[in-house]
Amino acid sequence: MKIIIVGAGEVGFNIASHLAFENKDVVVIDNNLAALRHVSDNIDVQVLNGSGSSPVVLKQAGIKEADILLAVTDSDETNLVACLVANIISPTTKKLARIRSADYDEYHDTFRDHTPHIDTLINPEIEVVKTIHRIMNVPGAVDVDDFAEGRVKFVGIHLDKSARLAGVRLSEISAKIGKKIPLIAAVIRDEELIIPRGNDRLLAGDLVYFISEKDNYLDSLAIFDKQVEPIGSVLIIGGGNIGFRLANLLEEKAVLTKIIEKDPDRCAQLAERLNKAVILHGDGSDQELLREENIQNMDVVITLTNDEETNILTSLLAKRMGAAKTITKISKVSYLPLMSMIGLEQVVSPRLSAVNTILQHIRRGKVISAKSLKNEQAEIMEAVALETSDIVGKPIKKINIPKGALITGIIRNDNVIIPSGESVIEPNDRIIIFSTRQAIPKIEKILAVKLEYF
Amino acid sequence: MRWHFILSIVGILLFFLGLCMVFPLFFGLYYKDQSVIPLLKAMGITLAAGLSLIVCFRSVKVDYISHREGMAIVAIGWTAIGLFGAIPFYLGSEFGTFIDAFFESVSGFTTTGSSILTNIEAVSKGLLFWRSFIQWLGGMGIIVLSVAILPFLGVGGMQLYKAEVPSPVPDKLKPRIRDTAMILWKVYALISLAEVLLLMIGGMDLYDALCHTFTTMPTGGFSTKNTSIAHYNSVYLDMVFIFFMVLAGINFSLHYQFLRGKPLAFWRDSECRFFLGAVLVLTVIVSINIYGSVYETMGQALRFGSFQVVSIVTTTGYATADYELWPAMSQIILFLCMFLGASAGSTGGGMKCLRVMLYFKYCYKELFSLVHPHAVKRIKIGGKSVPEDVMRSVLGFMGLYIGLFAFSSVLIASMGVDFMTSIAAVAATIGNIGPGLGMVGPVDNFAHIPYLGKWVLIWCMLLGRLEIYTVIILLVPEFWRK
Repeated sequence: MKIIIVGAGEVGFNIASHLAFENKDVVVIDNNLAALRHVSDNIDVQVLNGSGSSPVVLKQAGIKEADILLAVTDSDETNLVACLVANIISPTTKKLARIRSADYDEYHDTFRDHTPHIDTLINPEIEVVKTIHRIMNVPGAVDVDDFAEGRVKFVGIHLDKSARLAGVRLSEISAKIGKKIPLIAAVIRDEELIIPRGNDRLLAGDLVYFISEKDNYLDSLAIFDKQVEPIGSVLIIGGGNIGFRLANLLEEKAVLTKIIEKDPDRCAQLAERLNKAVILHGDGSDQELLREENIQNMDVVITLTNDEETNILTSLLAKRMGAAKTITKISKVSYLPLMSMIGLEQVVSPRLSAVNTILQHIRRGKVISAKSLKNEQAEIMEAVALETSDIVGKPIKKINIPKGALITGIIRNDNVIIPSGESVIEPNDRIIIFSTRQAIPKIEKILAVKLEYF
Repeated sequence: MRWHFILSIVGILLFFLGLCMVFPLFFGLYYKDQSVIPLLKAMGITLAAGLSLIVCFRSVKVDYISHREGMAIVAIGWTAIGLFGAIPFYLGSEFGTFIDAFFESVSGFTTTGSSILTNIEAVSKGLLFWRSFIQWLGGMGIIVLSVAILPFLGVGGMQLYKAEVPSPVPDKLKPRIRDTAMILWKVYALISLAEVLLLMIGGMDLYDALCHTFTTMPTGGFSTKNTSIAHYNSVYLDMVFIFFMVLAGINFSLHYQFLRGKPLAFWRDSECRFFLGAVLVLTVIVSINIYGSVYETMGQALRFGSFQVVSIVTTTGYATADYELWPAMSQIILFLCMFLGASAGSTGGGMKCLRVMLYFKYCYKELFSLVHPHAVKRIKIGGKSVPEDVMRSVLGFMGLYIGLFAFSSVLIASMGVDFMTSIAAVAATIGNIGPGLGMVGPVDNFAHIPYLGKWVLIWCMLLGRLEIYTVIILLVPEFWRK
């Protein structure tokens, strides 16, 4: 399988490293030599210097044999032209473009159905807004994802020091809580992914990933001492595109929203386009302004300015001044490991969101959806159990499941089953599998399908 | 620097080397000669050393290799391979002291072809096969081979590849380094197979054909005969050798393109044109120079002139004639050929045509900007401009190459070796050619070089094979700082 990636920026780099890990043939095109060197020094892919929208360069990269073209530069125009050119030279190649400007929002379908026939358009800003909205509603959640049309939730939360489960062995949890517990799929401790066994303990500070049916979801959170309270008020710092989109969404949900924006012209624009939100002109790191606006009573403070450092510091300031919860936007992936260390657990990154969404869109076939965990060490995916595969017709404990993988859910006729060792998978069941990156090729084998892209 | 990790990879390489000793062992058994016991012992020692390194330094899974570690692995790996490759020679009686065996082994792996043997034909067949086979392994690169066939080296394989095959402009034939390494080795093996067949048609037996192919394709130059290729005295074989030496001196990615159905690939590449042109022009000059003074007919002059020019410029080092009896002009041209070398991405050594071309273009650009001080001019190769940093690294390389040549020559001369021999021995080893001039000419050998001098020359061979930077970097204090 050959994949051409146009753009060696943060998005291109992360996708390339993900795909190269799965032994796909990847060619990365960029006209920035330094970025290319960064790619070729770190990932086993081919690099090509030139403009990704140039037919000559695309031909040189082998677009004719390529299965997929991912146009993910920071420039919408380059991405669109790259897809257009690819469509002319090699119409059978699947195309995916990253489009940031909101102006194109209405034309996504047009681009798909007419020339240049772009199969998927990704807007990272929309994805980020979705991510923010999802994690906003779950206290302490770092990651929330839906499977099986939302009937199964996959949640990552941080375990607090005061939580009842801190220091408890997995096998002893049900005895301690006195009821059925959700399936704990993975724990991330000190940046290291652990698949916990019965004897392992949960520790305070762990990032715990668990799977839960939608109906039991609130109970599950309660086990981890997290209560869901409806969000009443939100303060957004930074009224850029993401801020605007988020405010728009929150207005629909009747949440009290305030936006602080530095640029007076932008404030005027926002005021024009938003109806209920309160637009405040000022500096988000101004303590007086924050106090005046009752920051201590805010349910969530979201920092979305274009400056990483400002976002981080403002979130810390908001926490100190009593905000119940903060969500911080960060673009530099290299900062992510620091965030939980300084106490900012809820972080969103437009680039990582884009990477995730792109992977989700290109991994298709019999796999219905897929999503990778925070530090990309593992993936969770939903697939159809084929009659021909080894997994059907026998109890799960007899299936030869590769190390590092876990069957975490079975969906049969709209019912969700959280499997035990005795459960039997039937043909055409949909199964939710959690797997480390290393185990993915073996999962492909036991599913008897290639985890093909598109 | 994660030494555990570096040493465990060196262990893997040694284990691999030990496995390779099966091939000479097979010939030793077939001819029932005295090489079987030394080969078996050497194989045991190498496998044991490799295994114990792997077991002792089995480290946690590593998912990347830094640039620095890549260079350390290659430099240390090559030294270790040279050392352990010498064990069969040392245990066999014909090679004398350990330093001689080590010299022969490094000369083999680096595809130099300088020998300390005075009577090659007296050596047992098994050991002679090993002597040729290590050239074949070293030619395309033993680490490249490991990257191709050992899957776990795929991660960080690029760093190892760049350190072992340092081309000014590295080109990856395939998106994945493993596939690239695999293709290079396949092309290499395919051309080798063709040569074996053609040599056998010329009347060689399988053993000699294999041994000579294993030293032509890597541009090595070891022969199983005392008088090298002159032994056969066959025009057909001379032509076959010339043809395959030229092939081995051309960038292997061009061979790949050619085999994939692009016959014009050779012509389109400006370095290849330069290389073939240089071979042609120098052949004509040398042939005219030796016509009349040494050889009676133009045909003979062309035959021996072209063979020697190709042999030296591709850094192979076979001999069909004693060129020390030729006029001074031809000798000087051959001496300069030692510096020119073959193409980048080939198995040949020397400075490489590409670097020489870039160097001349740079000089021209300097002169040009003296005339037009405000001119904006880029150095181009094949219509594409060469990035500044590549140009800088080429200039640095040329400077280091000449500097190290001068320094090592002085070292050798300080041990009482005469002028001509000193500079020629260094030029022939740092360029991975083989025979030099003076006391180390095509009919002489390196046995009489003083003990310390052999160490210096071993160092020169490694410098030349790994193209200076990978080896010299180990001497830079900054490299060792944490």
